[in-house]
Amino acid sequence: MHVESTRLGTMEVRDDSVLTFADGLPGLPGDRWALIATGEDSPFFWLQSIDYADVAVPVTSPWLFFGDYEVRLSDDEAARLGLSDAGDAYIVCVVRAAEQLDEFTINLVSPLVINAGSRQGRQVINDAGGYSVRHPLFSEVELDAVPPARSAVPVTAAGG
Amino acid sequence: MLVITRKSGEQICLGDDVTITVLDVTGSTVRLGIEAPAEIPIYRGEIWLDVKAENRAAADASIKDLPSIKSRTKPGD
Repeated sequence: MHVESTRLGTMEVRDDSVLTFADGLPGLPGDRWALIATGEDSPFFWLQSIDYADVAVPVTSPWLFFGDYEVRLSDDEAARLGLSDAGDAYIVCVVRAAEQLDEFTINLVSPLVINAGSRQGRQVINDAGGYSVRHPLFSEVELDAVPPARSAVPVTAAGG
Repeated sequence: MLVITRKSGEQICLGDDVTITVLDVTGSTVRLGIEAPAEIPIYRGEIWLDVKAENRAAADASIKDLPSIKSRTKPGD
């Protein structure tokens, strides 16, 4: 399907690439999203709203930056996502980008948990505590040491 | 906002599926018991407000080019 993005141009997003967040992302409109690649060697993807061209957030896999990060979901949350196995989950966190690298922060309190098979996702509250919604992203690794992001769901190339 | 005053042991029902019971009031702390179907997530208000605010801020950030490693481009470049 044809998707417009004020940041990334016009893209064709395959139907099987659509991620559905039935309860949306709190504070943001729409419930259909797609992961957009920012470049071959980037640890980041854009999560672009399919229905709102100007709505997109950067996301990344938290484990690229924090080797010890833990996500714990209640049985109810796992059931809501249809997850019978941790391996079925693809998890990313929302990043707040900034002019300077040392001002980048990541929300480790409420990761986006996606059922890789069904492409259904939810933004959940991590039952593992002690994290911040605004954790400095580069507090443990530098950009040059971060591997590129890998996705368990289809990713669309940015448009022109 | 509907404002209701309850005492310890009293309840509030939201539709047929959600019941909130005031279990205990000690000083300025209220302990609430919440019965709701599993499909309804229950969060402390301040956490949810924080998440909303953070999502909005992430979406509002005017950075268009995210850093990549190979080219070592940084947003300020």
